[in-house]
Amino acid sequence: MLDDAQFDLRDSFTAGDYQRSEELLNKFRNQDIYRSKDNVLFNLESGIIYHFSGKYDSSSVFFTTAEDEIDENYTKSVSRGIGAFLTNDNKLVYDGEPYEDLYLNTFKALNYIHLKDWEAALVETRRMAFKMEQLDIKIKGLAEAFSKSDSTDKADWETGKVNIQNSALSHYLATVLYAKAGDFDDARIEEEKLNIALKEQESISSYNRMRDESFEQLRKPNSYNVLLAGFTGQAPYKVQEDARIFIDDYDDEQNNEFYLKFSFPVLQTHRSRVSYVRAVINDSVQTSLRLIEEMDKVSAEVYKAKQPIIYSRALVRASTKSIGTKLVAGAVRKKNEFLGDLLQLLGFIAQETTEKADLRAWQTMPGQAWMKTIQLPSGLNTVRLEYIADNGRTLYFDEFEVEIFPDTELELVESIYSN
Amino acid sequence: MKYSLLTSLLIALIFVGCRPSQKITRIDPGTTTDLSGKWNDTDARLVAEEMIADALSRPWLNQFNRNNQKPPVVIVGRVRNESMEHIETEVFTKELERAFVNSGEISVVASAEERAEIRDERLDQQANASYETTKKMAQELGADFMMIGNINSIVDEAVDNRTLAVFYTVNLEFVNVETNQKVWIGNKKIKKFIERRNYRGMP
Repeated sequence: MLDDAQFDLRDSFTAGDYQRSEELLNKFRNQDIYRSKDNVLFNLESGIIYHFSGKYDSSSVFFTTAEDEIDENYTKSVSRGIGAFLTNDNKLVYDGEPYEDLYLNTFKALNYIHLKDWEAALVETRRMAFKMEQLDIKIKGLAEAFSKSDSTDKADWETGKVNIQNSALSHYLATVLYAKAGDFDDARIEEEKLNIALKEQESISSYNRMRDESFEQLRKPNSYNVLLAGFTGQAPYKVQEDARIFIDDYDDEQNNEFYLKFSFPVLQTHRSRVSYVRAVINDSVQTSLRLIEEMDKVSAEVYKAKQPIIYSRALVRASTKSIGTKLVAGAVRKKNEFLGDLLQLLGFIAQETTEKADLRAWQTMPGQAWMKTIQLPSGLNTVRLEYIADNGRTLYFDEFEVEIFPDTELELVESIYSN
Repeated sequence: MKYSLLTSLLIALIFVGCRPSQKITRIDPGTTTDLSGKWNDTDARLVAEEMIADALSRPWLNQFNRNNQKPPVVIVGRVRNESMEHIETEVFTKELERAFVNSGEISVVASAEERAEIRDERLDQQANASYETTKKMAQELGADFMMIGNINSIVDEAVDNRTLAVFYTVNLEFVNVETNQKVWIGNKKIKKFIERRNYRGMP
């Protein structure tokens, strides 16, 4: 039921109907489809819907709640250990994916930029950088906690390597914000980290990035008064994959039929139709926005590091269930062979029907972030953000009227096209 | 009769059981209430107490009084939050202002934002207030020193997320507005060790 609700929400959001998305989300909440265990998701979805509806204060409240809950729920996950291995993950409280925890701070930072609170926005970019640095430790911590509490010896509690340790998006925003605050040394350090992050992300990129253009201009606060931000694509989505193992080692003494089915979620990215984003200023000047971060690819990369833990959990859960069925069926079979076989068959059916992967994920997170800083003259300007397909066709555009005053420091012009 | 009595008891039980469980108690503002481990009023109070005592006891104050025969005039500038938390620095800067003004040893003038509003009022008086009560223009007291500062934090988290150490360092400085000379630097360090609750059984 929640899976269907998530699809509906994604559809309404990608259609750009934020009012409908807000209504849908509240309807799902009232119908108890988003339960208290799904609070993190509810707050993440609300945060982004309110953000793109221009309700920045409310959006930050939702994101802050989500962030606190992720932190608390992660501690519970670690403490819980094997205690909940018999329960399907989707019955447990959702503790957010590490990439969701990371990107909620992006939108909080953007909320604060819209509200002209640079200092608060910088707090968010620092949190992003910190979370990115801690990612490897956090995922290893989770594996370690599960490993300690697992006495079944059915799984290797390994983690994948997190190959990305920097978020280009956080460093881009921090460079702009430090430069605007007059902290040029910090801006320079952030620009260096931005370049490192872009280099790190080259291997996972599916776009041709403009590598030759430097970001040095970001450190010159008087050279721009507008930050253009275009978001494209969609959040990665989870699909269920099933694995089945059947061992038929029948002998006269005992029935050694062993059936194991386990389901786990696999993260898949959604291909955006957008080839690039450009801005048309006052119907005359054109400039292309730079692809700063492929949030979907970074998410998939981060998820890859956690994937072995997800497999191991699913395997241990299914094994425990299967062994339980086998033991009970074996005991009954000694007294009544027919009943024992029937029980084992019912056990197989139960495994088929109850084993379900946890497909919960943040649906409304965008897939790519494009940015550019520009200098606009004082007065009323029009800025049109155009989303261009491979064949050069404009898929979508958003037009803004931007009023610039002599003392305007930084205006954020932001838009999204999710297809 | 017995049936209706049981029903009434059941309804009463449900009513009592469904009462809001929120309880509010007024407590002494000086009480330490560490709930989340985040920066809170106690930290702000500790910073204010230390900074006030330090600023008022250092030689710069006597030196200024001796040389100028008047208390120094201070304006509160920006205290930058360079931490990973949203910290309302005004909570302790206002405490400092209050202590300086009440001590009589340091004069404090309105900050840039406050000044704008007062200037609007003064301008308005020129047109609307009576001649006797209109306040004069260009009579503002210029600050001798500006108080600026920053807050930094270092977070060290255990692998299992259950223990966390946060180190805050708060720096405040008085900078001579004319010469850029720093006459006082105060520093307060706060270190917190946070042990998170164990799993409470909620799935």
